[in-house]
Amino acid sequence: MRKHPRSALTLALAAVSVIVLAACGSSSKSSSSSPATGKASGSITITYGTAPDTLDPDAFQTTQAGEADQPVYIPPYTYAETNGIAGTQIIPGLATALPQISADGKTYTFFFRKGLRYSTGQPVHTSDFLTAVERSIKIPWPLGSAFLVPLIVGAKDYESGKSNTVSGITTNDATGQVTIHLTAPYGAFENALAFQAYSPLPKGTPMKDLSSNPPPGVGPYKFSSVVPNVSYTEVKNPYWTPIPGIQSGYANQIVAKISSNTTASALSVLNNSNDVFDWADTIPPSLLPQIQSQASDRYQKLKLNSTYYFFMNQKAKPFSSMLAREAVIVGLNRPALARLGSGFFTPGCFFLPPLMVGHPPSSCPFGDPNSTGDIAKAKMLVQQSGMAGQPVTVWGEERSPRRQFVDYYTSFLNQIGFKATEKIIADATYFPTVGNLKLNAQTGFDDYNQDFPNPIDFYGLLLAGDAITPTGNLNHSQVNDPVINSKANQLGTLFKLPTSSLGSASSQWTTLDEYTAAKAYEAVFGYLEAPEFVSNRIDQSALVFQPINGYWYNTFKLK
Amino acid sequence: MAVGGSTGTELSAGVPAELLVEAAELPAGIGPYRLAWRRLSRNHGALFFGVIFLVIVVLCLLAPVYSSDIAHTGPNDNHITEQIKIGGKLTYVVSTIGLPIGPTWHSKFFLGADPNGRDIAVRLLYGGRNSLEVGAVATLITIVLAAIIGIAAGYFRGWTDGLLMRALDVIWAFPVYILGVALGVSLAISGIGPLRGNSLMVPAFVIGVVFVPYVAKPIRGQVLGLREREFIDAARVQGLSHVRIMASEIFPNIASTIIVFIPLMLANSILLEAGLSYLGAGVQPPNPSWGTMIADGVANIPAAIHLVLVPGIMLVIAVLSINVFGDGVRDALDPRAKVRIAR
Amino acid sequence: MARFVIRRLLAAVGVLIAISVVTFLIFQAIPNGDPAQRIGGRTANAAELALIRHEWGFDKPIYVQYIKTMGKILSGTVVSYSQNLNVLDQIRQGLPATLSLAIGAGIIWLGLGILFGVITAVRAGRFADRALTVLAFIGVSSPPFFLGALAIYYVGYKANIIPLGGYSSLSHPWSWFKHLIAPWLVLSVLFIGIYSRVLRSTILDIQHEDYVRTARAKGLSERQVMVRHILRNSLIPIISLWGLDFAQVIGGGAILTESVFNLHGVGQFAAQSIQRLDVPPVLVITMLTAFFVVLLGALVDVIYAFLDPRIRLSG
Repeated sequence: MRKHPRSALTLALAAVSVIVLAACGSSSKSSSSSPATGKASGSITITYGTAPDTLDPDAFQTTQAGEADQPVYIPPYTYAETNGIAGTQIIPGLATALPQISADGKTYTFFFRKGLRYSTGQPVHTSDFLTAVERSIKIPWPLGSAFLVPLIVGAKDYESGKSNTVSGITTNDATGQVTIHLTAPYGAFENALAFQAYSPLPKGTPMKDLSSNPPPGVGPYKFSSVVPNVSYTEVKNPYWTPIPGIQSGYANQIVAKISSNTTASALSVLNNSNDVFDWADTIPPSLLPQIQSQASDRYQKLKLNSTYYFFMNQKAKPFSSMLAREAVIVGLNRPALARLGSGFFTPGCFFLPPLMVGHPPSSCPFGDPNSTGDIAKAKMLVQQSGMAGQPVTVWGEERSPRRQFVDYYTSFLNQIGFKATEKIIADATYFPTVGNLKLNAQTGFDDYNQDFPNPIDFYGLLLAGDAITPTGNLNHSQVNDPVINSKANQLGTLFKLPTSSLGSASSQWTTLDEYTAAKAYEAVFGYLEAPEFVSNRIDQSALVFQPINGYWYNTFKLK
Repeated sequence: MAVGGSTGTELSAGVPAELLVEAAELPAGIGPYRLAWRRLSRNHGALFFGVIFLVIVVLCLLAPVYSSDIAHTGPNDNHITEQIKIGGKLTYVVSTIGLPIGPTWHSKFFLGADPNGRDIAVRLLYGGRNSLEVGAVATLITIVLAAIIGIAAGYFRGWTDGLLMRALDVIWAFPVYILGVALGVSLAISGIGPLRGNSLMVPAFVIGVVFVPYVAKPIRGQVLGLREREFIDAARVQGLSHVRIMASEIFPNIASTIIVFIPLMLANSILLEAGLSYLGAGVQPPNPSWGTMIADGVANIPAAIHLVLVPGIMLVIAVLSINVFGDGVRDALDPRAKVRIAR
Repeated sequence: MARFVIRRLLAAVGVLIAISVVTFLIFQAIPNGDPAQRIGGRTANAAELALIRHEWGFDKPIYVQYIKTMGKILSGTVVSYSQNLNVLDQIRQGLPATLSLAIGAGIIWLGLGILFGVITAVRAGRFADRALTVLAFIGVSSPPFFLGALAIYYVGYKANIIPLGGYSSLSHPWSWFKHLIAPWLVLSVLFIGIYSRVLRSTILDIQHEDYVRTARAKGLSERQVMVRHILRNSLIPIISLWGLDFAQVIGGGAILTESVFNLHGVGQFAAQSIQRLDVPPVLVITMLTAFFVVLLGALVDVIYAFLDPRIRLSG
């Protein structure tokens, strides 16, 4: 996938050197500014088109924030700092080893490392883990509420105020032991323990979103200044105690600048006055030829685990008819949509994205996604479905290119025989609006970016019947298929599987995803790609991009 | 000129002092209109721009003809992956990295395409229709409301005046764009009453209301002056009803002020629509308007500057021609203009 | 007179309160505008929404919410919905950019407005008058974001003379100037157009007043007459216009210019907050702008009342 794939050997060497250096670091009890690795100097600037929603680890929802928080807040578990699919493997972070899971899959036990300190110098207590969990529930952190509150014993009572602690979690400051009881087995719980929200925080951290003054964490970097929506700076954490597998960081300082002018940002990286272009931004198409000719060695496309689709509400005309849904899927011009996304798009038809375990390698049930769409057949299917001339309101959000996707989609629906009108609303209100069941939105833009590399993330929230909720609904198509419900539920609870391959469950997920595609439940049109674009100062052989939270800041290295 | 101060421009300035002072001094009687027309017909510059504006209106009204007989595509039809022949060579309407084609100077994509592969020339004409429609409806709303409020406040005085003026102060003190965008964004979600969220009438309504104080205040000032005149007293003594006096005695005397305001408000409404569109609260997609087209183009700089230039120049020409013509009308109706002509 | 002034000021306070109520209602009362859902985001469930509603007080009647919000605004503790940031801090953060823009542009548009106004009046009917009149008309007919986009593309991207937007702090004066010169001019164009036209017509009117004729008759030079008698009097409406426009720009009214040049000022903050339907910042900025406008509006009213007793008696 990447331009600089590293061999197993270099990887192994890198791991060894990290361990050796870690040993050095801890023996010298370095708490001053002396960096743990050899070549560490300078300041690196990364440009962002969108500001992080908040830098508070217990409140954020965007990749921009996750990326910033990743080197500051290390959770009990984390992901291997490796490019590609290997980077989705769970490794111990602040915990000493992978958790012990009881036979019924409902009890997780692990130990915190000794001698950990926050960036303020305060020691980390094991019970601080509970503080973080409780804080994420009280703030509340939406993802946690969606996944984990129902899962952890006692979390619901704590959320509703019936109890003043989460009874299902016990911690022991003396031994470092943490025990977590779950209400049901959940295959992706190790991934949950790798959320930054579950990185320990000092007791007494205010139970509210501290976006402009984020709390101290345990990680190789700490925030030194935050100017909301304008910039933030991270510097080396003087109290960082190296942990195997986690790079201690190269640059002394990482400055993030926020500017909505992506043209200016891309040009600044091209002329090397800034160092990293945020992968979540789009490089303006007019600059691409220039970048490809002048800087082809420091520009490439990255694949992401992000599916883009149009939801089609099964509970309302016209998409209650399978033929009508099929018409959309048959006729969609996916290459056209890819162009609207400046070419940063892989056309596809399956719900699980390509880097996700279970993504079917088979061909699409309704024609080649790389074709420009069979309009004639789509028209015929609409006629057959009896839904021709049905009024359809197409929902979309303001930001580019999402609005352009919906502009195309509306025009397309009119072309194949529906009577479509477009409804574009502000980004901030889009998902809450279409996620309100009362609206019963017929169709519209939808996307999902993985929270963790397990298909249950997609199926559990976006396609399962029990995910249909009156508000905050993510199953916009209101799919409620017994086959999907039971199979996803069963596969989702399988635990003790290797987190990066899911072993035996993998092929079953593939079968399920093929079934979903054959039922024409969602009009998937493709998977997002992202630009990796850096200045000539950056050592790309050290750089690690991981599709969950993006770049590991601690792998930004100057040549 | 400069009636209405900075209305509809970047900011909402107050009603210019000049207007408050001189508003009360327009003449009564029948003669002035004929005189005004004679003056206007001698003002060749104003007439020239008036004709330009008429040409633009006619072109925009002919949009469906252009669309079906020349360009053979509708304003919202996407042609992203299609190819067209230019000089015998097949070219993509939108390149694989999303760059749209520039002006071809042929019947198809005469002025180029946008990233959705839509014909800019077709959208320009349809967009003009929408911009002009929003401007016209907004102007109508402003003028009607302002005339009613201004006349009532100036005529009744007392608490009616106080109440109406305070209500106008509220609108007037609102930052124009913040009020416009706030209303536009909130109405776009679900509309209000008969106003559907994506209807052209939403921006028209918002703009129309925002500008009421700029017109109502000078009208009120003028009515306050008129009210002291003998012929109103005479009408009252005759026992005419208030409504009758306002309609048949006062209104004719402020009609010339209203006429002066119409082109000004039209120009400013079109500009404000463009500004609201730039901030995401104007005409709703996929419908084009000059404002939304410029806004989309700005987002595409420097990909395709024609996306900004084409609607931008068109907008400036249209607004400019209304302004110059309107200035001519004002000069013609304003008795002080005599002084200037005499020079 | 004192009674009139007091009444006028009380009315101004009333207007401010009304503005805050209207702004609050526009955002709070719209359907699907539930702020709890916007704060909760995409995955918020019912329990979480209830928690947010309770935390922020959205479960209280709307008038209680309004009073509480206003209390927080007046005590300076109000925070935004979207990021939980202190709104006044955020505005303070945008002030350097907004002040830089407003003061620089204010000086330019006043200076050039007066200069062009005098030139067109003195040379009325001649070439300079016509040329500047044409420019003034183009100026008042061009949306600032269109001019801004052209400046960014041609002067910034093509010629590489100015940066492509953004604000640079005054601690680097040259960079500050380079970032602001285009926004200053773009914002000024429109006002120069208006002011020069207003001044032109005022001067032309005043030129025929009796006292000007008297001054000429006394044998004063044309320059002395212009400066001492004509200009001094015709600048009054210009200065009062300038005060109102300047108040607006300071209060974040240059929303388009700030946005197109990405200055991160108060106006752009307002625009972003509206897009997020984030009520507290919009409320505060609206009131801030309205405060200046109402204050100056009341002042103008008082002055006119002083000049024209009829209005005072009837108003």
